[in-house]
Amino acid sequence: MVFLRLAFQNLNRHKTRSVLALFGIATSVAVLFSILSFNKGFEKGLAKELERTGIHFMVVPSGCPHEVASLVLHGSIIPKFLDLAVMDKIKAFEGIEFGSPILVAQLTNPEQKRVDLVYGIEMAKMMQIKPHWNIEGTVPKDDREIILGSEMAGHQGLKVGDTITYPNVNASFRVAGILNKTGSQDDAFIYMPIKAAQTIFKKPSGATAIGVKVTDPALLTKITDGLAEQVPGIQIVTMNQVMSSISTLAASAKVLGLSIAIIAIIVSAVGVMNAMLMAVFERTQEIGMMRAIGAARSDIFRIILMEGMLLTMTGGLAGILVSVVGSDLIGLFVRRIMPYAPAGSMGHFDPGIAGASLIFAVLVGICSGIYPAWKASRIQPIEAIRG
Amino acid sequence: MIELRGIEKSYRRGSEEVHALRGIDLDIGKGEFLSIVGPSGSGKSSLLHILGCLDRPTKGTMKFDDLNVEHMPGAGLDEIRRRKIGFVFQQFYLMTGLSVFDNVALPGVFSKEKIDAEKIAALIETVGILNRMSHFPNQLSGGEMQRVAIARALANSPEIVLADEPTGNLDTENSERIFELLRSLHLKGYTIVMVTHNNDLACRADRTIRLKDGLQVV
Repeated sequence: MVFLRLAFQNLNRHKTRSVLALFGIATSVAVLFSILSFNKGFEKGLAKELERTGIHFMVVPSGCPHEVASLVLHGSIIPKFLDLAVMDKIKAFEGIEFGSPILVAQLTNPEQKRVDLVYGIEMAKMMQIKPHWNIEGTVPKDDREIILGSEMAGHQGLKVGDTITYPNVNASFRVAGILNKTGSQDDAFIYMPIKAAQTIFKKPSGATAIGVKVTDPALLTKITDGLAEQVPGIQIVTMNQVMSSISTLAASAKVLGLSIAIIAIIVSAVGVMNAMLMAVFERTQEIGMMRAIGAARSDIFRIILMEGMLLTMTGGLAGILVSVVGSDLIGLFVRRIMPYAPAGSMGHFDPGIAGASLIFAVLVGICSGIYPAWKASRIQPIEAIRG
Repeated sequence: MIELRGIEKSYRRGSEEVHALRGIDLDIGKGEFLSIVGPSGSGKSSLLHILGCLDRPTKGTMKFDDLNVEHMPGAGLDEIRRRKIGFVFQQFYLMTGLSVFDNVALPGVFSKEKIDAEKIAALIETVGILNRMSHFPNQLSGGEMQRVAIARALANSPEIVLADEPTGNLDTENSERIFELLRSLHLKGYTIVMVTHNNDLACRADRTIRLKDGLQVV
């Protein structure tokens, strides 16, 4: 306990220096903790969201799997279309419960001088694919009604019952419902019956993708293999593939982030080592005195090492705290840089990750404290007496 | 208790070879009150360092309780300092972040002994600052700080107390008080060796060793 107090006293003596070293460690631990927490939150959120989609696989035109993943979850624009003849073949295939065509495209809104994102789907199927949605109003009953994402409605100040007009395609729609904020890209779309979307985009039998649910998930591989063989020009993406595709993207971002965090940690560890070495040099007499009154070299080593650990542990705790408090802000940032982010909060506090980050911080303290502690333990008591 | 024979100490200062001690023979018996006096550079501090097992002689032999210490490894010297020697320094060297009590308890911490609060309090009482027990060094006067340092020197019940210019940083009144404190410890049975510039104080010890240019003079 006295050793701990001595270590604390030494840190407290040069507050500015200690706080600066602590700030470095806190920042790097905050980055590390955030990356690990968000990665976990991201994967959990992704799995949860895929679980909720209510479909087993997507049929899309042959192309990039990342595009498909993005489309499956939140409807990115793919400039290729499936012909609905494909739809008939899928529906006729044994073991298919339903197939739901999806048409995602951009629609110019000359009145607002903007491009809107349109997601066309059979509305009944939409609610099966997105069962977690909360809609204010009702689901469209005919082709002249739409649902607006919350962002979309907010931007234009539209309410349930209002009308939105697109003179360029000679169409106007009544807002039947507004989707409550999901925190995902869902908020930015206009959802309309697929027939209406096909009409305004002049693709009377076109679809960007077809969402398929099978009657028995155990037969999934058999069905997808069979379809891929019999229907040319399509690509089948199962939910697991989507998950792994997005996870790969997230993992790449994680590796990049961790590399930055590790560089930050190395830099801050050097900062801690520098601060402690300076403190050791300044305290030569005091350390010599402790040796003179009976402190063994190992005692001095322990006191200095404890200082390093105390500094990095406090820094680590501060970093974790800052990361937890600022998780919403970090979440916003993640959503900006990632092509896909699951709905809801990703930055859940995970005690395991917090513990691991703290242990890592303490290890950094030990590593950066070893050399100053060794140096201090070499101080001869006579140096104190000579002054 | 301590026996020095033909002790020499030399070291290099830049390109110059300094002969701090040039052959000292000295016996210190249990319960003695000895003062070492001499001008600056006479070698009195070098002698105290060797007596205190803080430094090794270049030549000669030294026995501490019949143990030859001149070639003893560092850990052995640590142990002797920890168990048998109490130090009092001119600059006090108190730990600023620790209370009077904790400063006095510090040697016990280093000797891995259970802290005996009553014993620590008794030591603080011995040096006459019991009312300052929970104070911190920056709340004490110079004389009080030196008293704390003396109490700390006694914490491990040493066989000998080595005081290096214990009154060097104090005014006349406080110097007198500290000297009287050392004398009272001597009367309680402690062996005291005090290095000083102050001839008046040195003369009041039981025995005085005078050094000049590294040699003992009569």
